[in-house]
Amino acid sequence: MMPLVRAMQLADSGFPSGVFAFSWGLESALADGRVDRHSLPGWVLAELQGRWHGFDRLALAGGFRATGAALGDWFATIDRLMPVERLRGASVQAGEALFAAARALRIGLDPAAVAAERAGLGHFTVVHGHFLAVSGLDLAAALAVSALAMARGCFSAAVRLGAIGAIAMQRELAALAPRIAALAADLPAPGTLPAGFSPLSDIALMRPRDGRLFIN
Amino acid sequence: MTAARVGIGGPVGSGKTALIEAMLGELARQGIDTAVITNDLVTDEDAERLRRGGQLPPDRVRAVQAGACPHTVIREDPTLNMAAADRLEADYPGLDLILLESGGDNLASTFSPDLVDFWMFVIDVAGGDDIPRKKGPGIVQSNLLVINKVDLAPHVGVDFPKMLAEAQAVRGGAPVLATVCRRGEGVAEVVAHLRHEVLFK
Ligand SMILES: Nc1nc2c(ncn2[C@@H]2O[C@H](COP(=O)(O)OP(=O)(O)OP(=O)(O)O)[C@@H](O)[C@H]2O)c(=O)[nH]1
Ligand SMILES: [Mg+2]
Repeated sequence: MMPLVRAMQLADSGFPSGVFAFSWGLESALADGRVDRHSLPGWVLAELQGRWHGFDRLALAGGFRATGAALGDWFATIDRLMPVERLRGASVQAGEALFAAARALRIGLDPAAVAAERAGLGHFTVVHGHFLAVSGLDLAAALAVSALAMARGCFSAAVRLGAIGAIAMQRELAALAPRIAALAADLPAPGTLPAGFSPLSDIALMRPRDGRLFIN
Repeated sequence: MTAARVGIGGPVGSGKTALIEAMLGELARQGIDTAVITNDLVTDEDAERLRRGGQLPPDRVRAVQAGACPHTVIREDPTLNMAAADRLEADYPGLDLILLESGGDNLASTFSPDLVDFWMFVIDVAGGDDIPRKKGPGIVQSNLLVINKVDLAPHVGVDFPKMLAEAQAVRGGAPVLATVCRRGEGVAEVVAHLRHEVLFK
């Protein structure tokens, strides 16, 4: 039972990881009318199938598996694969918040991860994978925590933006659960490099931040 | 030695940034090495204002955008602010003090003890003399309550001595200081209080 309890704690939206303030592009998408209440679940699913499955899952698995110099290299590799500066900046900022949480919780991270943070390469998904490994999760649980966190993060941003109700959000999340579980069960082969992002949120993330409610 | 982290919260427009502006001169005169983190909802407005003020090198003023909910980033999930403070300490090893301004919020906002060593709550006279009586956690639990814009009392029909006495009463004797940040009045007392309570120098 212990791994399950720990996974639930780490997946809890109350876990202080800094991602609360991020809407991962949803804010701009809503503002531009590219998403509305009805297309929201589809948008979240597209994010999961695109950005999460194609990129975050692999970045996280690498951070989960690697240690020492290989972990440091993985941070640098992920950094190179993020050509959009705003996305890169947001990913590093969110990562630094998780590093700060680990320091405050006295969870010891690999010195190579700490060095990556100092060098400005402390990307969130990589340090999240490493953090979940150090916390004792297995990779399958770590991927489930990450996928669920992304879905819930998008929906809860939508709630705060007034685009969906708190009850309807839970209904949509429950409906997506089988898809989330299936995507998270796809354990990548070691060393698999991430591909690309889902095009819609990439465009959203490239927009200037003027007048936007969230960081992204 | 790490820098003391001091939170400054309070309702929208009560004078949090004005207090910081007024304190910076005093802190510099007293040789206290200071940096500031501001929290705005979606802009870097307060950080830009402090940088324009020129009392600190621009890089010593960092902005964290709070998104939709200002108290979340100082209480429920303070990690973005913790990361910014850690980064400031790494960049400026001799730092004595980091001031963290919360985004304007309501009377219920409080700072996480994980984030700050000490926090003050700034209300203003123009918000009405009933504010202390309403007793939000910000009024009651802050380490220091600052009542700003005392100069406006006659213009907004506030009996300031009565407001001050009520504030002291609801706080059970915890400190309350009055300021006119616009003119720098009372600010030396705020700095002296900080030195005594958190800076130990
Ligand atoms: N009359 C008077 N006005 C003041 C005083 N202090 C601040 N103000 C004015 O009050 C307004 C708000 O001050 P700010 O310092 O921006 O307040 P704030 O609490 O930082 O505001 P937010 O960050 O937006 O919540 C400004 O127009 C200030 O010039 C004061 O002591 N007396
Ligand atoms: Mg302000």
